[in-house]
Amino acid sequence: MKQPTFLLDGMPVPFEEGQTIMDAAMAADAFIPHLCHHPEFKPQGSCKLCTVKANGRHVSSCTMQARDGMEVENNTPDLNDKRRTLLQMLFVEGNHFCPSCEKSGNCMLQALAYELEMLSPHFDQFYPDRPVDASHPDVLLDFNRCILCELCVRASRDVDGKSVFALSGRGIGKHLIVNAESGRLADTDFSLLDRAAHVCPVGVILEKRKGFAVPIGQRLYDEKPIGQQMERLAARTAKVEV
Amino acid sequence: MQVSGASGVCLAMHEFSRRIAFEDVPTAGAFMVFGAHRDMFEVARNFAHFFAHESCGFCTPCRVGTSLVVRCMDKIAKGLGSQHEIREIFRIHRLLNVASHCGLGQAACNPVFDTLNKFRPAYERRLRSLDFEPAFDLDGALASARQMTGRDDPGAHFVGESQGFGVHP
Repeated sequence: MKQPTFLLDGMPVPFEEGQTIMDAAMAADAFIPHLCHHPEFKPQGSCKLCTVKANGRHVSSCTMQARDGMEVENNTPDLNDKRRTLLQMLFVEGNHFCPSCEKSGNCMLQALAYELEMLSPHFDQFYPDRPVDASHPDVLLDFNRCILCELCVRASRDVDGKSVFALSGRGIGKHLIVNAESGRLADTDFSLLDRAAHVCPVGVILEKRKGFAVPIGQRLYDEKPIGQQMERLAARTAKVEV
Repeated sequence: MQVSGASGVCLAMHEFSRRIAFEDVPTAGAFMVFGAHRDMFEVARNFAHFFAHESCGFCTPCRVGTSLVVRCMDKIAKGLGSQHEIREIFRIHRLLNVASHCGLGQAACNPVFDTLNKFRPAYERRLRSLDFEPAFDLDGALASARQMTGRDDPGAHFVGESQGFGVHP
């Protein structure tokens, strides 16, 4: 039997039954912008950056199963405009100061903002009050940069079996919390060896005493824009994570 | 008349001959009737606050978008609005409509969108200008400096003739 395929911006993409549009696109080295998706974890579909138009309907490509003969629009001015607005929303919702951030150059949010040519935050800043948690001996938590992708939540729960992190609150007040009575990371069994310590796509979970080991200018997305790194993004596992 | 709750369809007087039907004005059974003395802008602003409060915060567009709409509506209510806010609301509406995860986000801008289309004067009479107006009050921000220096002469006031401050690209 012929392998099923769908069209991604006119390009035929083969897929296995049960694969999502994102899975198949990653395997075919075709870039669909995304933040909350990670091939190692169960897809969630909350950041909405990966929104595509499949057979005329807007869907999240990380949760939508591919169908034979499906026509998917991905890299179009209209979709990229919507993604840019979503990025601007994420930027104003938190406190993102790239120049002083340890993750600058390795940050997916920053890399996508460059990729999608986001020139300004556009909206007024929300300036939320999110104190940092420096209680843990090896790890610093800077909640200011959290984009609520829940990758650390999923990693800690599904891989580490610890459920150190969770999201709390609702609406614009939604925020990342630490599952301890005190709310402090030091009062959990979180360790640098945890999978959750290395999945943050932005700069929330940072290793202490290891600042700027790779100079800015030589970092992941300094070398090549994120749009040309789908192969690496698809290969993200416990071993190769940066 | 608001048919089928806050996320339903808002009908103006000239539409009263339309039919309650799946094909025309669908409803789950709820109706709200607003008399002629009611301010439809305030009705829509109330709905905007309702949706921002109801948003669960799971997906980016609804979590941030509903709060951005509230900001636009509050700014207009304060008399600081401009066409810029109206354009912003339309832009956020288009995004939430297609990118939100569930029906709440997809429909969250409906009451604002409908009232903007059908009761536009309720919005426009509140706009300070038809271009851009900053939310930030420059002269107000100088108040604490005036208090500290004990000055209140004209030189200590910002005269807001030039509108170039705080322009968003």
